Amino acid sequence: MSTELLMRQETWNITYTHALGETASWFYVQLRDHAKLYGKRDAKSGRVLIPPRSFSDQTLEPTTDWVEVGPGGVIETFSIVYEEFNGLPPPPYAFGYVKLDGADTAIGGYFKGVDLSDPKAASAKLKIGTRVTTKFAEKRAGDVLDFWFESDAG
Amino acid sequence: MPYVARTGVVGVAIMPSVTGRERSLEELLYHVTQLALRDAGMTIDDIDGIVVASNDQLDGRAISIMAASAAVGGVDRDILSTPSAGEHAFVMGALRVATGQYRTQLVVSWSPTEAAPFHEAQHLAADPYYHRKLPLDEVSSHALQASALLSSVPGVEAMAKKVAEKNRQNGRGAYPEQTGRSENAIKVPWPLDAGMVSPPVTGAVALVLASEEYVNEHPDLPVAWISGMGWATEAAYLGDRDLAQASSLAEAARQAYGEAGIADPVGAFEVAEVADATPYQELLAYEALGLAPRAEWGARLDDGTFGPGGKLPVNLSGGALSLNPVYCTGLIRIAEIARRVLGRDGANTRTGLAHAASGFAMQYNTVVVLRRGEQGAAA
Repeated sequence: MSTELLMRQETWNITYTHALGETASWFYVQLRDHAKLYGKRDAKSGRVLIPPRSFSDQTLEPTTDWVEVGPGGVIETFSIVYEEFNGLPPPPYAFGYVKLDGADTAIGGYFKGVDLSDPKAASAKLKIGTRVTTKFAEKRAGDVLDFWFESDAG
Repeated sequence: MPYVARTGVVGVAIMPSVTGRERSLEELLYHVTQLALRDAGMTIDDIDGIVVASNDQLDGRAISIMAASAAVGGVDRDILSTPSAGEHAFVMGALRVATGQYRTQLVVSWSPTEAAPFHEAQHLAADPYYHRKLPLDEVSSHALQASALLSSVPGVEAMAKKVAEKNRQNGRGAYPEQTGRSENAIKVPWPLDAGMVSPPVTGAVALVLASEEYVNEHPDLPVAWISGMGWATEAAYLGDRDLAQASSLAEAARQAYGEAGIADPVGAFEVAEVADATPYQELLAYEALGLAPRAEWGARLDDGTFGPGGKLPVNLSGGALSLNPVYCTGLIRIAEIARRVLGRDGANTRTGLAHAASGFAMQYNTVVVLRRGEQGAAA
């Protein structure tokens, strides 16, 4: 006689309240209140890091001055994602990384202004190396969803 | 290895795709551990220490070493756990034997598919400061990596298709019962497609390591000596990396080849298993492991160098492109090479190369060189 095999389903609903620290807080306040993006300079290497960090993970020196970057930049990589993610707007998502003017690292964000129903055509419009401009939401929460990139070619 | 004690693999058990609900996760770990011990001709009493690697998000259990400790024989025994990567358990176990303080180690890793949505469990790996609000899971990070490669290597999509076809054909040969039969489905991000990634399956893997002293006392025991090992990590922020390159893999290979005294890797091995969560990863591995620079990828795929019967067959197991127990695919790559170098497949393989990768877009890379010992039944 075969055993009836049971499954046990559990759902956890735990809330985490993460401290962002001074550096990320300042970055998100500038984004929320002034619609501007800033990187932070590693004085030892001279590199401007965005997303900004309080220290460089290459030199392990504290970063020093804030540097406004963008709003223009270049697409470094890109994907179209079809899975739905918790806490994000409905899919599909066009997302990737952009090296903003004045920065030495790329920041992750969304691409808008492109029809994603035809991924081949969309990917041609958002080809790596394409110049983009950062756009800002009218109502900003101090979050990555406050900004996105649009191709300069339209 | 330039360590106190020479270290080798003496037992292997690979369960690359487990279906059915007859075993709980703990029972699966008990089973794979018993298989590996039997393969090494040992009982748990021969084991001096245990290293396990698993992922708490996928296990649905905090500090999932607790899930393992009884099943793998950890009660009243030395047991350590790492969540960073399945293959890191191998590194830690090998280093423990190499210190001369342990004669044997058991190494176990596993990857269940009990969490849903699977991609939300992986999304927890993104930092909550700048990346949580992006649709990042492992496969979308691999898609960004593929995208970067597509823009920098002309014709690479056709090469990736060839790699995927090669590995899936290998998989149908190596694991005909399991390959292509996942119960799970994923929505594949652009520029990947269903031919270039495999949905997650449940898997488990265990290896037994032993010191030269132990091996010498068991002259009939086949051994796959670890003659070189290297591991390295890249920046956590994807925007800090050049995703069209695999710099940490090149560094891990440099360490492993240096230890093993290998100058020309193409001629140095009879088989290789490399990370292939996507075929683009296998292509990157060819270059960073010194097997073929990107300018030669197309030619080497056309002339069958890395195919079955080629100069260096890569992923004869079918790789993760055939069976993808996500978290333990890396340790399985090492176990597949160990299995062959131990002669468990009946072939006469003397040297093998294993590459394991973990994390977003191959953030962690580990390289292991195995050579068959002169003793044992297979020698």
